[in-house]
Amino acid sequence: MPDAFLTVRGIEAGYGGRQILSGVDLDVVAGEAVALLGANGSGKSTLLNTLSGFVRSRRGSIRLGGEELAGLSPHRIFRHGIVQVSQARDLFPEMSVEENLRLGAWTRGGDATRLLQSVYASFPRLAERRTQTVQLMSGGEQQMVAIGRALMSQPRLLLLDEPSGGLAPAFVSEIASIVTSLKRRHVTMVMVEQNLRLALAVADRIVVLRDGVVVQQQSAGGDEEQIVRQIYL
Amino acid sequence: MLTLLPQLLISGISTGMLYALIALSMTVVYRATTVVNFGHGDMVAAGAYAVFVFGLGFGLPFLVALALAIVLLFAVGFATQRLLLQPIVGGPHLSLAMMALAIGYTLRGVLRLEWGNETINPQRPYLQDAYMFGNVVITTDDVVICGIVLLLLVVLFLLFQATPLGKVIQATFQSQRGAALVGINVPLFHAFMWGGGTALGAIGGVMLSMIAPLTPDLGQWTLVQGFAAMTLGGFGSLGGAVVGGILLGIIQKLLGFYLNTVFIEITGYLVPIVVLLLRPQGLFGRRAAVRV
Repeated sequence: MPDAFLTVRGIEAGYGGRQILSGVDLDVVAGEAVALLGANGSGKSTLLNTLSGFVRSRRGSIRLGGEELAGLSPHRIFRHGIVQVSQARDLFPEMSVEENLRLGAWTRGGDATRLLQSVYASFPRLAERRTQTVQLMSGGEQQMVAIGRALMSQPRLLLLDEPSGGLAPAFVSEIASIVTSLKRRHVTMVMVEQNLRLALAVADRIVVLRDGVVVQQQSAGGDEEQIVRQIYL
Repeated sequence: MLTLLPQLLISGISTGMLYALIALSMTVVYRATTVVNFGHGDMVAAGAYAVFVFGLGFGLPFLVALALAIVLLFAVGFATQRLLLQPIVGGPHLSLAMMALAIGYTLRGVLRLEWGNETINPQRPYLQDAYMFGNVVITTDDVVICGIVLLLLVVLFLLFQATPLGKVIQATFQSQRGAALVGINVPLFHAFMWGGGTALGAIGGVMLSMIAPLTPDLGQWTLVQGFAAMTLGGFGSLGGAVVGGILLGIIQKLLGFYLNTVFIEITGYLVPIVVLLLRPQGLFGRRAAVRV
């Protein structure tokens, strides 16, 4: 296996007095797409939020390209290139599509106009609706804006939290093709996805979490039934 | 009776402009942090005292004293957020509101230590004059207050609407989590907004001290007017704060003249009662529960 780009060792984290992650180890290679799977409460979203700094780790190490990030605040982690698309999307509801996208490039810098063209090329629907206020858009379109905004930040590691969550089936397949196209562009991704079919279709590798620890890792081409058993039984 | 109406409207607008500025400064803090700063009035009063001390105490020219007061009150607001509020920011909203209230009372206590119940009438940095337009008298105070507040509103409007920084401020107002997701240092933003809101309020306090006696209790009265203007305009709405402030000033003058002068004192209390019962979201706010 090539050297890991993201190395997570012994991460413990939680909310208040409640520990959710109890020593997670994870390696992600550059350009790889990893899907985190697990039952509700297994710690998938907590792990993503710990990687992005929204949940402070209590113990352990998170290294990205060799740099230690554990314990840093979200804006510092963001500057190292870990960019998250949250489950709630957390867009700026009264702003237009383009304003939302441009804000993605505000902190990480870069040529915002060139990045914008690249995002519009990937999401032609957003180009058509660039002046529309995002709160008036459908859930699927908002998800596109959220992913587009994250791409404007030129992520070194993209975290996707339930990208298909709550979307109509037509949008789920669209999100799948978007994630696949990101993979082709060698964007390193860690995603949490409840839709097992989608996760298996787009990820290179799946990692199963249970009770805050990794219980299984395998390539996405493995036995679907066995994975389901690992998750729920 | 109606012949005095234009005069009352002019006076109401002039006073209302001050309320608008104070309500706007409170709204900036509220929108940034979702905390109602119950100590804001005392910070406004502290701004007026700071100019008085820098001007009369240190003999500095008015504009220098004003600039120093703005910087000082920005620092007070910034430090208040960083040192006193940020450590408890994850706690209940009520704790934050109580902390803000306590900070305000502490500031008032500090002012009382030096000035007790003494009333000060700071000298205006300009000659007071009056201009007659038919039956309407417009004073230099009216012109200065309206001019400065309008100028500040234009500057703020341009900052918010026409600059990249303004977009970032608006974005953070709309979604703090979203702002953090695009790498904005939200806690630092909160501190800057507290500093900015406090400095803006301080300017209001300085102008208020030109037309009303300066006492350590000025903050309490100021907070009530600012709160009433915010409620009338719609809690959290920047434009609403401005319109609410101006309307409050006009209502105060009209009720005070046509019904009873006591209404000048109590309109600031009556307006929130009426608005919260009849239209809780105010003129420009949205229907939502406000946690304090």
